[in-house]
Amino acid sequence: MKRMLKTAILSSALMMGVGLTGPAIAQDESVYIPNLAYRTGPFAATGTPLMNGQRDYITLLNERDGGLNGVKLEYDECETGYNTEKGVECYEKTKARAVVTQPWSTGITLQVLPKSNVDKIPILAPGYGFSPMADGKVFQWAYNPPSSYWDGASMILKNISDGNLDSLKDKKIAFLHLDHPFGKEPLPLLEVLAEKHGFELVPIPVGLTEMQNQSAQWLQIRRERPDFVVMWGWGAMNAGAITEAVKTKYPMDQFVGVWWSGHDGDLKLVGEQGKGYRSISWSVPNSESPLMADIKQYVVDAGKSQINQSEGEFDSVFYQRGLMISVILVEGIKAAQDEFDVRSPSPEQLRWGLENIKLDEARLKELGAEGMLVPFSTSCSDHTGHGGGWMLEWDGAKFVKASELLTPDRAEIEPLETEKAKEYSEANAPWPINEECEM
Amino acid sequence: MFYRTAGQFKSSYEADHALFPVRQDAILLGVILVFAFIVFPVTASEFTFRALLIPVLIYSLAALGLNILTGYAGQLSLGTGAFMGVGAYACYKLVSIFPEMNIVVAIAMSGFFSAAIGVLFGLPSLRIKGFYLAIATLAAQFFLVWLFQKWAWLYNYNASGAIQVPNIDMFGITVAGPRATAMTQYYFVLCVVCVITVFAINITRGRIGRMWKAVRDMDIAAELVGINLMHTKLMAFFVSSYVVGIAGALFVFMWRGAAEANLFDIPLSFRVLFIAIIGGLGSILGNFLGAILIVALPVIIGSVPQAFGIPVDSAMVEHLNIMIIGALIIAFLIIEPHGLARFWAMIREKFILWPFPH
Repeated sequence: MKRMLKTAILSSALMMGVGLTGPAIAQDESVYIPNLAYRTGPFAATGTPLMNGQRDYITLLNERDGGLNGVKLEYDECETGYNTEKGVECYEKTKARAVVTQPWSTGITLQVLPKSNVDKIPILAPGYGFSPMADGKVFQWAYNPPSSYWDGASMILKNISDGNLDSLKDKKIAFLHLDHPFGKEPLPLLEVLAEKHGFELVPIPVGLTEMQNQSAQWLQIRRERPDFVVMWGWGAMNAGAITEAVKTKYPMDQFVGVWWSGHDGDLKLVGEQGKGYRSISWSVPNSESPLMADIKQYVVDAGKSQINQSEGEFDSVFYQRGLMISVILVEGIKAAQDEFDVRSPSPEQLRWGLENIKLDEARLKELGAEGMLVPFSTSCSDHTGHGGGWMLEWDGAKFVKASELLTPDRAEIEPLETEKAKEYSEANAPWPINEECEM
Repeated sequence: MFYRTAGQFKSSYEADHALFPVRQDAILLGVILVFAFIVFPVTASEFTFRALLIPVLIYSLAALGLNILTGYAGQLSLGTGAFMGVGAYACYKLVSIFPEMNIVVAIAMSGFFSAAIGVLFGLPSLRIKGFYLAIATLAAQFFLVWLFQKWAWLYNYNASGAIQVPNIDMFGITVAGPRATAMTQYYFVLCVVCVITVFAINITRGRIGRMWKAVRDMDIAAELVGINLMHTKLMAFFVSSYVVGIAGALFVFMWRGAAEANLFDIPLSFRVLFIAIIGGLGSILGNFLGAILIVALPVIIGSVPQAFGIPVDSAMVEHLNIMIIGALIIAFLIIEPHGLARFWAMIREKFILWPFPH
């Protein structure tokens, strides 16, 4: 009886929990944007400023303009702690009302990606996720603007070789990466390029458990004496690698990271000694821009932001990148609103919207964010936009722009993307391909 | 009153050995099964299936496997996560090499792979005991996860190093992969869990189970009464790893849909071990109670503030959740160190005597 009672209580608790988490709030006058955030766990330090940025841009629109075209945007976070298990739970919890999924981890993206065709909710993974998602005909529901990891790898190589990859011949490039789907992402492309241009690629994996203590990896780097170290790191791994590089006196100007390895906090640990470290980025912080002035006025000074002002989070690369991520999403929502003449677009309509983002320089200027994001546009066949990126360089106190706009070598990447996208769709058959797209 | 055993006479040895010597137990189980097979599926939403029901069942199964080894045969193991991984990767390879194979067969066969690996890593148990054996199984944990990362053949040379479950049909119904509905997967998992639970109840009640318990309680004495220690211990490793392997295959194929090697790392082993310990070592029921506490309760607590419209940050909910669950675990262990199953057994005793305490 007691157990029956227990079961009854439990089951009623389940129903209650489940019944009420569903569409409880009126849907018509708001656009619900869930974010699978992580402000807890081992990656919280890098996650928090990004989530703050995403949140604050939405707050700004709601506060300054009363929403988007008069419709309130409802930003909501579901905490995952970068844990894939929690990620799936959050996805299931939010998907009833969500117009978009922002998975925020390559692991969660991999789990959600195959479901996108069934649940019909677009996935927005700006600057992360699976690089072949660029092939919009195959991955109809997934977007990774403005640049994919393969684009990033191509741009880094282009920059360190001064635009001519053949000049890397017989050079040695160490690829220090997190031993995780995220870190392994650029390997297929780098292998192809190494073979083609005759440089030697030394992949050096860093396990999740050894992120903070990379002495073994740096010993290997010291022994191999690579001409460049390219890093694909995240969370605690970046700080570990940068401090080790300083300790082993590896020349910082030969050390380049992906955009997720350009966190101000990690470099502040070494300060002056980190001078010369570069990171490719598709966003550049500019605290003087009109957009940032508005953010300051309407969000930060109004006490509606969660940022840590004493730590200089407002000026950091990651916070302002978080803002840019929301800019991309809102542009998609706006495109959908305009095209379908609805106030609150459905996930299917947003899919169209994300396919038709036109963030050119004029539009960025209009938003007050000129030069803060690479200009790009998406189409039904191109879900990335391949806007390119800039090199950011650590000057001892902050990241500054250190190059002109770099663009990826698409001729090298595209065949590989098509091939891998095809492989994926075949492994997951039946997988619908967008036949209507004629680009 | 509800649990009155008066009047239930046993007139034969068979009746005395029955699975349910007390009739009310059978009724209770029947009610729970009705809930599991009919009431939950009818009322549950997709979120309930995917975040509560399916994971609770799969974790219960994994804890059941571990409980056979640790609770019944007394061999402490910290390698459960890795053995689940063996089951999952074996099932993935079987499905990708023989795409026409029935998924039930593939899952059943993948258990044998993890059983074989389990026996291999169980060999040290013949020489070492207790914490030392735990360290030896820890070696399995590290080695196997490393192997999942490095041996690209296991994940079909996928660039991301993760395994992804394809769509798998059984008798015209998609049971695994992105197109499978949550309800199908729930029924699939429920049936597998029921079959294995019945098997586990009977094996632990019978001759083999008694041999395990004898080895657990005192292995020298067990040897003296004629129990072959090697045979018994390795059999425990075999059966346990088989069940754990199946749980691992279900874990990826019926629930997660994709997995990378890190998923099977030590936190998973600990999680399953905690379920077994908090549920109650040496009990079958305990695994289910433990899984409800460890797996389902955080999800339920997490949705409480939202359900009542209390505006709390999701990160805050997470922090509170960790604190509440931690406090509950400590509280339960203080009230009843032998686990939730023992807790229930005490309640049941009281019910049998009620309303006369003597």
